[in-house]
Amino acid sequence: MRSADDIKRLFRNAELRIHPDGDERVFEDVLQARRHPMEDQPATPDSTWRTIMRSPLTKLAAAAVVVIACLIGLSFWRTTGSGIALADVLARIEQVKAYRSTTSAQFWSTKVTGEDPNKPYNFKEAHDTWLISKEYGRKSTDEELDPNGGWSKTAESYCLPPKRTYIDIWPKQKRYRRTEFDDRWAEQFQFQDSPDTLVKRILKYKYESLGRSTIDGIEVEGFRTTDPNHVIDIINRGESEIQADIKIWVDVKTQLPVRCDSTYVLFYQMENKKKYEHFVKHDFQWDVPVAAADFEPVIPEDYTGIVIKYPAHITEETAIEGLKLLVELLGKYPEKIPIEADFADVGDTVLRLAEKSETPAAMRLKEEIKGLTDKEIGNKLVDFLMPIRGLDLFYMRLQWYKKDRAYYGKIVTPKDADKVLLRWKVSDKEYRVIFGDLHAETVSPEKLAELERNLPK
Amino acid sequence: MIEDKLLIFRFKQGRNGTLRQIYDKYKVELLKLSVVLTGDVNTAEDIVHDVFVKFAQSAERISLTGSLKNYLVTSVINRIRNYRRDNNRHCETGLEGVEVFSSPERGPYQWAVLSEQLTLLSHALRELPYEQREVVSLRMEMDMTFRRIATLQNTSTNTVKGRYRYAMARLRSLLNGEVEK
Repeated sequence: MRSADDIKRLFRNAELRIHPDGDERVFEDVLQARRHPMEDQPATPDSTWRTIMRSPLTKLAAAAVVVIACLIGLSFWRTTGSGIALADVLARIEQVKAYRSTTSAQFWSTKVTGEDPNKPYNFKEAHDTWLISKEYGRKSTDEELDPNGGWSKTAESYCLPPKRTYIDIWPKQKRYRRTEFDDRWAEQFQFQDSPDTLVKRILKYKYESLGRSTIDGIEVEGFRTTDPNHVIDIINRGESEIQADIKIWVDVKTQLPVRCDSTYVLFYQMENKKKYEHFVKHDFQWDVPVAAADFEPVIPEDYTGIVIKYPAHITEETAIEGLKLLVELLGKYPEKIPIEADFADVGDTVLRLAEKSETPAAMRLKEEIKGLTDKEIGNKLVDFLMPIRGLDLFYMRLQWYKKDRAYYGKIVTPKDADKVLLRWKVSDKEYRVIFGDLHAETVSPEKLAELERNLPK
Repeated sequence: MIEDKLLIFRFKQGRNGTLRQIYDKYKVELLKLSVVLTGDVNTAEDIVHDVFVKFAQSAERISLTGSLKNYLVTSVINRIRNYRRDNNRHCETGLEGVEVFSSPERGPYQWAVLSEQLTLLSHALRELPYEQREVVSLRMEMDMTFRRIATLQNTSTNTVKGRYRYAMARLRSLLNGEVEK
């Protein structure tokens, strides 16, 4: 391809045809959405279980169910035919020093209403292999279906608690990201989605025995939970309701997992859509020998990357620290948070904002990075950006956990001691508010409404 | 432009026929943009579907002063960015949300059928960093000015021009020998 004109021509000639059946189906959804406009629905639809749990009576009933569930759990502990108790399985996994496993995942969607509501579309598949060691950490490799057949590697990740580092490498993009973290982060990264976490979560909620079966010639016993609370704290992407079905099959002889099946159905009321996610963990190899070299990432010279550091704790104080730094740098609050601008890293955005600022802090920063290469600037900014990354993460977490957050940096200044800068929901009766002068208070929803009414238009 | 303003005006008055006109006028353009930005036809369909659904629900709030095309294009871009951000977030906790590409198997309810050229182009664009992909797609596909792209990307025009140059150089190298006409 010789010139920009050739590429322009390719864009022009690259045609897309509409399939009439699919087209009518989509338009039917659009039309249906028009008949039920957003105004008829709450802006942030609460999930059914949250709504139900608000009722004091239901809470009481739920408490009773929890007690009953505990008793049922206890009875399984004592009376499953094989004598296998899930708690023993957990203890057995925790004795293992290193293991390998593969996860095969499938994702698809269906419509909730309309013609053929249960026809699947948007089908995707992925593979992920893990090597986990108690001593070194976790190495994982993600693969996607290659259009030319087979699977091709899309990412490699290293979670290395002893080194307090998490590294992502994207070979196709020739990029990497190194995140440095503390012990708390190590725990969070290491245990997500691993079989011991899965068993711990099953044990925490209501589960049942599936009895004996055979998988690949191995005699196994199954356990199952369909309690959506099992995943409510790890999946949160704006869905209005979640259904979960988790099964774990354990080798009767070794008491170690042989296979784990997890299916999640996420309902998106506003989009008239259900998303299905099906994960199968299999090919477990327990107690495999590992060496330090297995967990040494190899990053080729020509790859570009960034280094990221987060504060040890992401709290309200973290957010205030980040806001304070931004005010020093910009002389005002940023119009929006997260600062991370969709795809640009925080560092790029902060530098761009600081470029226009003439505060002493901004002038100092500009002087310090003058003449440095991009890599040197990146290294220099690692610690400097930490409070701002903490602010971003704090604000994003408010959204993930549906805390009814709002930020008014566009209209509130550091002098506005009585104006709401940032707020989020603590409980049905309380909101936490950070004011323009960065002091924080807990207020009632009524008081918050009054404060927000008084904000400049 | 005037035609669009008239379409919005009629749509806000509740004429459903107008919704069909808007849908028919922009669906191909938006789908194509979404395909080149996501590199995946299924995700692209999902995104444009959701954009039209949201648009249909929030018609009363759309301002008559704005451009309809810009509104829809911005909606597609924002939704793709959210999708990517969600996926990146979930990458940190395991396989869920990992950026995956579709299986060649497609159901009977497919909406968009890609030409060979578009498949080739979307595969090449997938090799670019997302910000460069966005610049070159908006410039080539939507005839957007660098200044407008800079506003959308919340960056300077010079940065956008730099991204465009890098993207074009990489695309030339990626597509070398693939298409000459």
